[in-house]
Amino acid sequence: MNAESGRTSPPLKDPADAPFLLGAAALGGCYVLLVLAMLAANISYTTPAQVWQSLHTREIQYSIWLSLISSTLSAILSLWVAVPLGYLMSRFEFVGKRCLDAFLDIPIVLPPLVVGLCLLILFQTPPLRALQQYVPITYAVPSVILAQFAVAAAFAVRTMRVTFDQISPRREQVALTLGCSRAQAFWRVVLPESGRGMLTAFTLAWTRSLGEFGPVLVFSGATRLRTEVLPTTVFLELSIGNLYGAVAVSLLMILVSAVVLVVLRTLGTARL
Amino acid sequence: MNRSMLLAIGSLGVFLGLVVLLLLQPFLPRTTDETTRKLVVFCAAGIKAPIVTLAQQYQQAYGVEIQLQYGGSNTLLSQLQVAPLADIYIPADESYVAQAREKRLIAEVLSLASMKPVLVVSPGNPKKIADLADLLTREVKVSLAHPEATAIGKIVQNHLQATGQWDALAKRLAVQKPTVNDVATDVQLGAADAGFVWDITVKQVPELTVLPAGEMPAVKLSACIVRQTKQPTAALRFARYLASADKGGPVFAEHGYQPIQGDPWTETPELKLFAGSMLRPATEKIIQAFEEREGCRVTRVYNGCGILVGQMRVGQNVPDAFFACDREFMEQVGDLFEAGTTISANQLVILVHKGNPHNIKKLGDLGKPGLRVGIGHEKQCAMGVLTQRTLAEDKTTSLVMKNVTVQSPTGDMLVNQMLTGSLDAVVAYITNAAGHADKLEAIPINIPCAFAEQPYAVGKKSAHRYLAARLLDALRAEESREIFEKTGFTWKAP
Repeated sequence: MNAESGRTSPPLKDPADAPFLLGAAALGGCYVLLVLAMLAANISYTTPAQVWQSLHTREIQYSIWLSLISSTLSAILSLWVAVPLGYLMSRFEFVGKRCLDAFLDIPIVLPPLVVGLCLLILFQTPPLRALQQYVPITYAVPSVILAQFAVAAAFAVRTMRVTFDQISPRREQVALTLGCSRAQAFWRVVLPESGRGMLTAFTLAWTRSLGEFGPVLVFSGATRLRTEVLPTTVFLELSIGNLYGAVAVSLLMILVSAVVLVVLRTLGTARL
Repeated sequence: MNRSMLLAIGSLGVFLGLVVLLLLQPFLPRTTDETTRKLVVFCAAGIKAPIVTLAQQYQQAYGVEIQLQYGGSNTLLSQLQVAPLADIYIPADESYVAQAREKRLIAEVLSLASMKPVLVVSPGNPKKIADLADLLTREVKVSLAHPEATAIGKIVQNHLQATGQWDALAKRLAVQKPTVNDVATDVQLGAADAGFVWDITVKQVPELTVLPAGEMPAVKLSACIVRQTKQPTAALRFARYLASADKGGPVFAEHGYQPIQGDPWTETPELKLFAGSMLRPATEKIIQAFEEREGCRVTRVYNGCGILVGQMRVGQNVPDAFFACDREFMEQVGDLFEAGTTISANQLVILVHKGNPHNIKKLGDLGKPGLRVGIGHEKQCAMGVLTQRTLAEDKTTSLVMKNVTVQSPTGDMLVNQMLTGSLDAVVAYITNAAGHADKLEAIPINIPCAFAEQPYAVGKKSAHRYLAARLLDALRAEESREIFEKTGFTWKAP
């Protein structure tokens, strides 16, 4: 697969290539430098003691816990939607496909606050109000997952579509001619080949969900120990003028997501 | 089964596992006090009947033993004073509530029902008395419970004195009895021709005939949470049960009381509160303590008040209570809320870096060339509106506005920008500077309109009006004052 072919770094044979490679490194390095500088600036506004202290407050422990669980849940949900949708979009031609394609970008294009507002209005309609008599959603934990899912799924769908596009339909067709049904071909041939793509889609949805803020604030509120996720914590701390606390929590957030992503990627490359 | 399917099923398993983990909620404070198995209730003997029924219902439903101790309201009050070994005190009328409150024996007071004095005559009305006015002109014997010792005697006397009928009645007064039940017996047996009893007494002695006597003042029956109770949450829960429109209400009505339209019963009620962001440093601790004590949940949505008002206009998304940054925003949604109570006030100031390097003394100084000034957004927040009004009053609008490099929706955002050094001065609330005395300096703006007042109001259609009102009591309690003042607010609560 193309992902594997680019893995080994080509030996620098011709010294004449050096200026080109140096130029590429310099341009790319600018971005790396920017991110590093941002991190450094962030770190300069806090102390390890402050990070440690915020890690010890119950509210922040809760928001870490809720952030991790809700992002994982919404990432799983996203994948469950993205795999079939991406597959259908990639393999079949149908009327209105272009429209649907553009339509799927709406959650990505919309400002996050608007997504939250849409959800809020949606859940004030009579049938959903009736449902909420039994399952509280607005301003409760399910709303956090729903808000994250609404945006994250769009990214996962994009990724899965590209993944399936890149998998040649040949092997699938061979399986079909050998007597597999569509479903069998999908489960036995297509899915095993799309492992890396699914991992990418999952991590993308997961990171999106972890950082999701606008919709959560509007649709879920910012109740401590209830619907407070890490980005909300940062916002809440900022909104009371506690710049140092906000920075400490954002560092924590970077730390947590880095650990999870590294673990996921290592597991992924080992297994898939 | 192949690996793909295992993965799919595995992901569902992980999903369910995480949902279970969420439902366990290991971080939430335990609102249900598991150790509560017994509540002691001091209950005035006269109102025993409905309380016994409700206590039994509650005991069956929730397994909490309700131990009722009966006595005169006064006796129970003295007992409380000597040894506060009860969780709830339910006296016969409000005067005891006032006394208990004065002696600092009780905390929360929950209204349960009300009752009214009525004029009754002997069965069949042998003297053919038409009404109270008629009674006062006739030669009849009237029995009344003692005005000094009983609530009903006191109320009837006060009411008739106010209407100018007391002197006429006093002439007809044949006897004063120690309790209202004695009066009922007198009238039932014909020992007296007429008397004043509670409407609930008539329910117990249906032979009595009720006559019109004008509108008599009602007396409220309340459950008081004893201040020193070790289990306030359990006590409040039972008191809420008694007061609820759907559990307590029908039972009180059955016994002849007029039930109050209390909050509907739920074990753990949920309250939704919208509050201006600037209030958060002051309110958060108070609300957490309230949640823990009441055993309820308060979902709070903090944001700029303009944004909150906008959210309220979406569908019927009206919270149970609104704590606004300024009267102005409360007025915008005045149709949705009861009259507000002002809790605090906040003052607009100029915040500069420590040492005031640009030597700013008044609003006009913000127009100095090269200064980077931040103010609140004129539409999104009360502070922005107030800033514009203050500038206009000071006649420095154009001078200052040319230096304004940023308009933020909250004062704290401005403070953050100050702390990072990207601004030289901001116009914000004094509360925004709380906790930054080492970095910032506040210069007062001495213009009368540079003050914002924060009112709290309960939603007109809230299902938890009484609970929302108790949150108001918690917010304006003396203990809250200290927290508000520490965060820079001026205390305004009545």
